[in-house]
Amino acid sequence: MNPLKPSLMIKKNDIVIFTRIFFSSNYFKHGLFYLIVFWNVPSSIQAIELADTLSLHGFLTQGYFLTSGNRIFGESDANGSLDFTEAGLNVSWNPNADLRLAGQVLFRRAGTGHEHDLELDFGLLDYTVFSTPDHLLGTRFGRFKNPLGLYNDTRDVLSTRPTILLPQSIYLERTRDLALSADGGLLYGEHRSEAGNILLEIGAGVPRGNNLDTELAYFGADYPGETEPKLSYIGRLSYEREGGKYRAAISSVWLDVRYQPKFPASDDDLPPVKDIFIPVIFSMQYNGDPFSITAEYATRRIQRASLGHALDLDITGYSYYLQAVYQFDENWQFIARYDALYNNRADKYGKGYQAITKRPAYTQFATDWTFGVRYSLTASFLIAAEYHYINGTAWLPYQDNLDPNDVEKHWQIFSIATSFRF
Amino acid sequence: MIKIYLRCLLGTLWLCVVSPGFAEDTPVVVVNSITYPNAFLSQNAITAIFGMRLRKWEDGSPIKVFVMPDGNPIHIAFSKYVLRVFPYQLRSAWNRLVFSGTGEEPMIVESEEKMREAISSTPGAIGYLSRSMLNESVKAISND
Repeated sequence: MNPLKPSLMIKKNDIVIFTRIFFSSNYFKHGLFYLIVFWNVPSSIQAIELADTLSLHGFLTQGYFLTSGNRIFGESDANGSLDFTEAGLNVSWNPNADLRLAGQVLFRRAGTGHEHDLELDFGLLDYTVFSTPDHLLGTRFGRFKNPLGLYNDTRDVLSTRPTILLPQSIYLERTRDLALSADGGLLYGEHRSEAGNILLEIGAGVPRGNNLDTELAYFGADYPGETEPKLSYIGRLSYEREGGKYRAAISSVWLDVRYQPKFPASDDDLPPVKDIFIPVIFSMQYNGDPFSITAEYATRRIQRASLGHALDLDITGYSYYLQAVYQFDENWQFIARYDALYNNRADKYGKGYQAITKRPAYTQFATDWTFGVRYSLTASFLIAAEYHYINGTAWLPYQDNLDPNDVEKHWQIFSIATSFRF
Repeated sequence: MIKIYLRCLLGTLWLCVVSPGFAEDTPVVVVNSITYPNAFLSQNAITAIFGMRLRKWEDGSPIKVFVMPDGNPIHIAFSKYVLRVFPYQLRSAWNRLVFSGTGEEPMIVESEEKMREAISSTPGAIGYLSRSMLNESVKAISND
C-alpha cells in the first residue's frame, strides 16, 4: 500500500470542504462587503511587482445563472445557480530579455461534474530566438494555451471576453477541456511593418481532456472504457493593423482522440474508436470608437473510424456568430450578438438524425440571440449582465441535463457576474 | 458672401476639433538617457514596444515599459496621437498577453513626476511625458 495515498486524499477532501464552506456560507451572503472591499482597492495595485523581473496577476469572477427549461452551471432552472466561479493566479518571471517562465493556476466551479476543478492552466518556458523591431521568432515549451480564434487563449478571464458566456458556436463548453491547453511545443514568428503585423503560431502537443467530458461530447454518453487525446497539431495565422484596430485570423487544429473499451469486453461498450476532429476558424474584428464588430465562422469536421466500422462517420458541421459592442463611455458597454451552430451541414435541422436515432432534431442545432451590458467600476472591477434567447440544444452541457426527456427546445438564460482582476 | 465666409470659419473650427494631434502638449516618447543614447525609434518599434511585443533593445538589454493608468488623460492622448490606437485596444492586447502566458503588461505609474523619476532611474526604461515635463534627466525620442 502506498503510504502517500491517504494523505493526498485528505488534502483533496480539505480542499472540497474548504471550497464548500467558502462558497456556500458567508461569502455570498456578504456580497456587499465583498463589493466594498474591492471598490476600495487602490487603482495603483494593477499588478504585484514582487521583484524587478517577477510579476503576479490574478482574477476572480463569480457568476449567477437563471435559466428556463434547461440547465447550465448547476440547478439554474429553479432559483438560479451560483455554481459558477473562476479564479486564477499567474506568475511570470524574466531571468533575462530572451527567457521567460510563466504559469497559471485555475480554480473553477462550473456545475455538475465541475464542482471544484483545480488545474495548471499553463506552465511554460518561452525563449526568444531572434528579435528586431520588425521581426520576432520564438518558441514555447511546456503546457501552452491553444491559439484558437480570438478568445480561446484567455477564455476564463471575464475582462478579456465580451460576455459572461462566450459565443458557444465557436467556444463550446462541451469541448472546453480539449480546447484549453496542450502539453508540447510551439513555434511563433512575427513580421511587423507599416502595412500591419503578421503572426504565425504552430504547435504540436497532447491536449488536456477530461475523460468524461470528452466522452459525453463525442459519444453522448458515459461508456465503460477510456477516452484519451493523442498527439495533435494546432496553428493560427493572424493579421493585425493599426495596433489591433483591424484583426483577422485563421486557426485550425488536427485533433486526435481515441476511445479504448474496457477489458474484458462487454455488450454495452463501444469498439475501439479513432476520432479526428478538424475545426477551422475564420476570425475578423474591427475595433473602433464607439463600435467594435466581431465575426467568427468555423467549419467543424469529424472523421470517426471504429473497429468493425459500425460507428464510422464523416460529418462536417459549421457555426458562426456576429457581434457588435457599443462603448457608450469609459464605463458602460452594450453588446448584441447572434450565434448559430449546426452539427451537420448535410442535415442542418436534425431531421435525418431524428429519423435514425429517435432523438430530438433540436439537439443538432442551436441559435442564440444575446444582449448584454457591462459596467467597469474601476480598471480592475467590473459587473456584467446578459440575456440569451436560445433555440436548440446543440451546445447544452450534458452533465447538468442528464435526462434527455427533460430538455426543451426553446430556452433562455439570464446571467449576472462580477469580476476582479489585478 | 456671408455664407461662404461662415463656411470657411466652420471649416477652420472643424480642423481645430479634428486635429488635436498637432497640439503643443501631445506627449512625447522618453527613454532613460544613459542606457539609450539614440534619439530615434521607428513608429513600428514604438508600436511594438508599447504593445509589449518587442522586449529588448538592439544591444540585447531588456526594455522596461512604463505607462500611466488607462483613464489618465495623458495616457489617452499618448495612445491616440502617438501610438494611434484607442487605450482599450492596448488594454485588451496586454490582457491577452498576461492571461495566456505569452507576455507581460507594462509597469504603471500614477503621475508624470513618477514617470520621469522611474525612467531616469531605471536602466532600459521607456515611457512618455508632456513636453513641459521634459528635463535633462530623461531623453525625448523622435519617431518621424
